[in-house]
Amino acid sequence: MSKYMTFSEVAFKDRDLLIAALKEVGCSYIRQGADLEMGQYYSEQLKQKVAIVIPRGVIGNDYGDIGFELTESGEYRPVMDDLDRSRALNGRFIPKLRSAYNERVVSKVAARLRGTVHRSVEGNVVKIKVRY
Amino acid sequence: MPEINFTIDPQTGEMEMKVEGVQGLQCADVAKIVTELTGAPQQEENTKEYYARPNVKPQIQNKKV
Repeated sequence: MSKYMTFSEVAFKDRDLLIAALKEVGCSYIRQGADLEMGQYYSEQLKQKVAIVIPRGVIGNDYGDIGFELTESGEYRPVMDDLDRSRALNGRFIPKLRSAYNERVVSKVAARLRGTVHRSVEGNVVKIKVRY
Repeated sequence: MPEINFTIDPQTGEMEMKVEGVQGLQCADVAKIVTELTGAPQQEENTKEYYARPNVKPQIQNKKV
């Protein structure tokens, strides 16, 4: 059944890093604001107000928009249709977005510490060493 | 030289971090910079270095009279 779900276990704290990560994973069109309404394309999709919207169809999210709600603690949590979980970026939307976001976190931390960055791929994981 | 080792798993997008070469509360300062961007960690563990205190010897200078 089509319905909007909030991914409560996934959170992004920095809006600028989130927007940059969204662009990297292919979100070419992003709406930003406050209390933006996500589209209701099916009767089961309840009204959702969010701060960031990726419109329907941009990255394979054929059932609805993808939104990010701003929580009271200042974190952005993804909201998307249950049926788009396996469709957006072939079901890899959340892992790809988290990876892109976390790589930006490392770059920002390195910049704040005025450190050097050494990145490598070992097996199936990305290793990044920051020396400062 | 202090270093932070990050590991990102592309399958899940999850990140692990280990701070090395930093003793005591300075380690917590580094962790704070990261958590400002990531939010609170799911799991956190302090290493031996965290509990170590920097070996600082008091310096006493004789005043010339």
